This record gives sequence, structure tokens and C-alpha cells, in this order.
Amino acid sequence: MSEDRELYRRLFRTALLIRLVEERIIELYPSDRIQSPVHLSIGQEAVAVGACDALRPDDLVFATYRSHGFYIAKGGRLDRMFAELYGRVGGVSKGKAGSMHLSAPEVGLMGSSAVVASTIPHAIGAALSFKRHGNSRIAVAVFGDGATEEGVYHESLNFASLMKVPVLFLCEDNGLAVHSHRPVRQSYSLVKHAAAYGIASRRLDEGWDMLAVRRATLEAAARARAGEPFVLEIATARYKEHVGIGDDFHFGYRLESDIDAWKKRDPLIADKALVEELTPAIEREIEQAVAFAENSPSPSRAELLTDII
Amino acid sequence: MNVTAKKPQAATTRVLSYANALLETMDGALAEHPNVFIMGQGVDDFKGIFGSTTELAEKYGAKRVFDVPLMEEAMTGIALGAALVGDYPITTHIRADFSFLAMNQIINLAAKYRYMFGGIMSCPTLIRVVVGRSWGQGAQHSQSPQATFAHYPGLTVIMPATAQAIVDMYPQIINRHPGPVISIEHRLLYNLDFTVAEGHVPLTSYVARPGRDVTVVATSVMVVEALRAAQYVQDTAGIDSEVIDLNSISHPDWDLVAGSVRKTGRLVIADTSWLEYGVAAEVCRQVVLRDPSMLMAPPTMLGMAPAPCPTAKSLEDIYYPSQHETVDAILTQVRGADHGIDLPTERSMTEGYRRFRGPF
Ligand SMILES: Cc1ncc(C[n+]2csc(CCOP(=O)(O)OP(=O)(O)O)c2C)c(N)n1
Repeated sequence: MSEDRELYRRLFRTALLIRLVEERIIELYPSDRIQSPVHLSIGQEAVAVGACDALRPDDLVFATYRSHGFYIAKGGRLDRMFAELYGRVGGVSKGKAGSMHLSAPEVGLMGSSAVVASTIPHAIGAALSFKRHGNSRIAVAVFGDGATEEGVYHESLNFASLMKVPVLFLCEDNGLAVHSHRPVRQSYSLVKHAAAYGIASRRLDEGWDMLAVRRATLEAAARARAGEPFVLEIATARYKEHVGIGDDFHFGYRLESDIDAWKKRDPLIADKALVEELTPAIEREIEQAVAFAENSPSPSRAELLTDII
Repeated sequence: MNVTAKKPQAATTRVLSYANALLETMDGALAEHPNVFIMGQGVDDFKGIFGSTTELAEKYGAKRVFDVPLMEEAMTGIALGAALVGDYPITTHIRADFSFLAMNQIINLAAKYRYMFGGIMSCPTLIRVVVGRSWGQGAQHSQSPQATFAHYPGLTVIMPATAQAIVDMYPQIINRHPGPVISIEHRLLYNLDFTVAEGHVPLTSYVARPGRDVTVVATSVMVVEALRAAQYVQDTAGIDSEVIDLNSISHPDWDLVAGSVRKTGRLVIADTSWLEYGVAAEVCRQVVLRDPSMLMAPPTMLGMAPAPCPTAKSLEDIYYPSQHETVDAILTQVRGADHGIDLPTERSMTEGYRRFRGPF
């Protein structure tokens, strides 16, 4: 097998894992065993997978509430993720975090926040620390297009540029913030706007293409590693509703046909043979993770008042 | 003015201003801990946050002590990010009011990180905020947000009232406190000299002056005021006041407070902020929950008038409780409203207040 083919398979497998995990969440959700708001990334997997594959294991990612994909792509343990969604002690954060606050510091996922844009400065703080200590790691701030409307995003760009910290701003542009479309929310183009701060940027329209995302991230990460903050905007598409497990096309704020073209290019749909080949083993992996969650006890009362300070 | 909180042991005392105590601890932290850095608007300028960071940038370099743009929320978020990877950031706000722009990071993130992630994240960091007063600080440069911050579990909120409290508590915090700490420093204290003894100020409440007749629980600059008032009532009426420096707003020593009230039966509370939903109300809650029968009279509370702070000097003078009122409150608790003791004539509070010449 050629090197490219092997790389493609590796990325594809992780992307498929993310999709099947989230599809499993959709199946489980009506049972109320997962009582946590879930923001699914079905349709957006290529971004997480391509980007994380381009990072070094010790590069840090600071994420958002839509983080199942990044958690898995960065190498977080699946069983502990399901236990977290179930609110069980076996969870990454003993059930106190749930879906919106996933983290896996041991593999460099440094927490996810449910307050839009709020972890962007954390990436800069970590990058500042890397620079001070003279090591070659980078920090990645992952956020949606909506997050760039917040003041803290602008404060963060300005400071990152002034301090020349090794940070990569990674925007997943699914064109939506909850139900509102980007053109009614933003008067600026993200990449042009970054230039106003002296920050280099790039937009990648082929966000379904894991290899293209990986290449773009490798280039952007190299710039960041050299102390040049970089804004990388990647077009993507969210298939499901903003929060929850349903489709919401019938509400009319968007049309199913809006994402038809995207679905045609989605390798997780298009590459049927590979999906069929890889699915059984992945399903078994997911079953084990779910079983782990099911068997993990709920946190005891004593947990209520631990780890406060 | 030289204020003594604890009986000094002659051989081991020195005189130190609040500002110099801050400078000494900031310097010490940078010298001892390579992971400490200080950032904030103006930390490297010639004024150095009222003298508390002066010349540290020259001494430790711009990587350790640096100015930032106007970016309160991002600065706090950046501090958290650095703390998450093992650095110890110290951030400053020359007015506590500006930390309100960072409320999101402070309350939604810093306060929650350890708990929300089940103990695997921690962001130890010191956030210094300064409360302004006098010289026309007005409504947006004088707020004292201890009750707001202490309301949220996960934050440690302290109000050092003396140089002693600074030199004792700041190193403890920077060395080993696992979570975010907000220290509310009072601008009027900066210029005061204190006798600093060997000893130890805990990260909770302590007795600043032992006494039998009445318990005065105070915060920040009101501790200084309470000590002066205690001296006055001792001299004029032989009343022996016990002054408790609440010191930690988030984690006070309620047993100490309750024990004192049980002994004296009388309670005066003097805070630097509004009374409504505030620290004074919380002190009452704690005492009443333990045993309301300890109180021989309803407690007296001193705080700011329930209004935004007026700028006009004439109004500001009556906005804050004066020494006159503090003394009257203690006398009234012990002897009743017709105590017949002459009150101090000065309306404005500390000597520091009179010496304070602005503009900041
Ligand atoms: C500060 C803040 N404001 C509003 C919200 C409510 N909210 C949650 S997600 C969201 C949209 C964010 O859109 P975007 O950043 O594009 O991310 P996406 O959900 O599309 O991945 C909003 C408005 C919030 N969580 N935090």
C-alpha cells in the first residue's frame, strides 16, 4: 500500500470512529442514559481528524462544547468519554464535565468550555508559556465562526500578534451559529480581518478533505511553531441540529439541499467500501466503551464537594 | 500612621508600608519561582501599580513582567491558559471595577475549572484588584466586589488589611495554593506604614485585637478603622473591643467569629462595600444560624450608603462610614444610644485618607 493510501486509511478510520460514536450517541440518547446536552459534529469530522493528525502529540488543543471529534482525534480514551457522557465516575472528569466540557490533558486536549470563545485566550496563555520556556510546542485554539464575533477573540488576536506566540487559531466554519447564518452576523471576512492584526491567514474551502485539512494544518502549525500566530479557517458542514440528536431542516432556517453538495463529497458517505470494511471493528470498540460506561458507578455523594478549590 | 494589628515582639519587628510589602512579595515571587510572571496594564511603567511592581520589569526582564493592551477578559483567559500548563501568572487591575470585564473568565472558567473537570485541571493564579477611594474616584473606580466574587464557589477571595497580611499570605498563595485567588487590595492602605512582626496570618480570619466587651468584625481598610475606634473607646470609656479581621472573604473562620460573639454578646460589622446582600449580611447569617441567643442586641452594620459612589467630596464624605460613626456604633452596642461619650470630631476616615492626594 502506498504511503498516501495508508495515511488516508488512518485518517479515515478516526473520522469514521467519530461518526459512528456520534451515531451511537443518537441511538442511546432517547434512553436518557446520557443526560448531557450534546453538540454533534457529524459532517465536521474531517476538520478534527486532519488537524489533530498534523499536530505533535504534545501540542495542546483548547476546544469548545462541540468537542467529541477533537477528543477522539487527539487520542482521548473512548471508554472514559462514554462514561463521562453517562455521568459516571469512570468518566474523564468523574462525570462532572459531561459532553460540553470534555478534556484529556494526557493527550493534549486541555478542556472545552460551553461559553462561546472563552477558551481562545487559554491557548494564547499556554503558547506564551511555551515561548517563555523556549520549547517548540504550539497551542491550538479551536472555535466556530460565531466565536469570532466575541470581543475576547479580537483581544486575543491582537495580543497574540504583539507577543508573537506559537498559537494556531483554527476556525471551523459551518456557516451557522445556532440558527443564524454568517452573513447576518459578520461584517468582516475572517482572513482579511486577521491581516489587520498582522496575522497571516488562510481559508480552506475543501473542509471535507481530511488530507487537505492535514496539509493546511501542517503548514499553519509550522508557521505558529516559528512564533507566527496563524488563522486557519476551514469550511465545513454540520448535518445535525445545533444541540441534540435530531435533524432540524423542517424548521426552515436552512434546507437539506444546502448540504447535499457537501454530502456528495463526504468521504464517510462516498467511500462505501472502506466504511464497510472498517465498521465492524469500530463497532466492537464502541460497544466496549459503552459497556465500560454502563458498568461504571455513579459518583458518590462525597464527590459533590470535592475538587472545588 | 503606623498601625499595629498584632502585638509585636520588639526584637523582630520592622516598619513596612503596604505598597512596599506588595513590592517585596512580588519581587520575592519572581526571584524564587521561575514559573511566576506578572502581567497587567502598566505593571512595567514608572508608577508600577502604585509602587507594587516598580522596576521589576528591569530586574526580571520583559518575559516575566510585562504590560498588556486593554484586554481584561483575554488577559485573565491567558493567565488561566498559562496556569493550566504550569506557570504561575499574577495579573493586576488598577481598579477592581475593571475586573468586571473579566467576569466571564473569572466566574465561568477560573472558578469552575477544577470542579468541572473532576479535579484534573487546575489554574492556580493570583488576580490582584485595587479598590479606589477618595479624590473623586466616583462610581466606577471605587467598587469593592468581595461579596460578588466570594459568592461563587471555586474562588478564594482575600482582603489583606495590613502589610503583615501581604507578606504572610502572598507567599503562601503563590507557593502552594491550588486555585485562583482574588486579592482585593485597598488603595487607601498603600501609603500606610505598618509594624510587621514575625508571625503568621492565616488564609482565613484572625483576631487583630483581643477584647471582652464587643466583637467588631471588619474587612480591609475597615480593620484599620476598627482598630482606631477600639483604641478610642478604650481610652474614653474603658470599653474593651475584640477586632476580628475577616481577611478571607471566601473562607472565613466562622468558629472564631462565633466564639468571639459568644464571649462578648455584641457584634459590630464593618465592611468596605454595600450592606445589601453583602459580607455583613453573611456574618449575621452565620452567627444567627449557630445560635441567635448569643446576641444581646441586634448587630450594627457599617458599610457604604446604598448608592453608587458620588464624586463630590461633600457627598463622598457621608457616603463612607466615618471614624465618628464607627466609634458611635461600638459605644451604642455596649452602652446604648444615650452613651453620652464624646465622639471624635473628624468625619473622614484614615490619616491615609487625609494624606491621599490623588490623582489616582
Ligand atoms: C458567550 C455565549 N453566548 C452565547 C452562547 C449560546 N450559544 C451556544 S453555541 C452558539 C453558537 C456558536 O456558533 P459557532 O461559534 O459558529 O460554533 P458552532 O456551534 O457552529 O460549532 C451560541 C450563540 C454561549 N454558549 N456563549
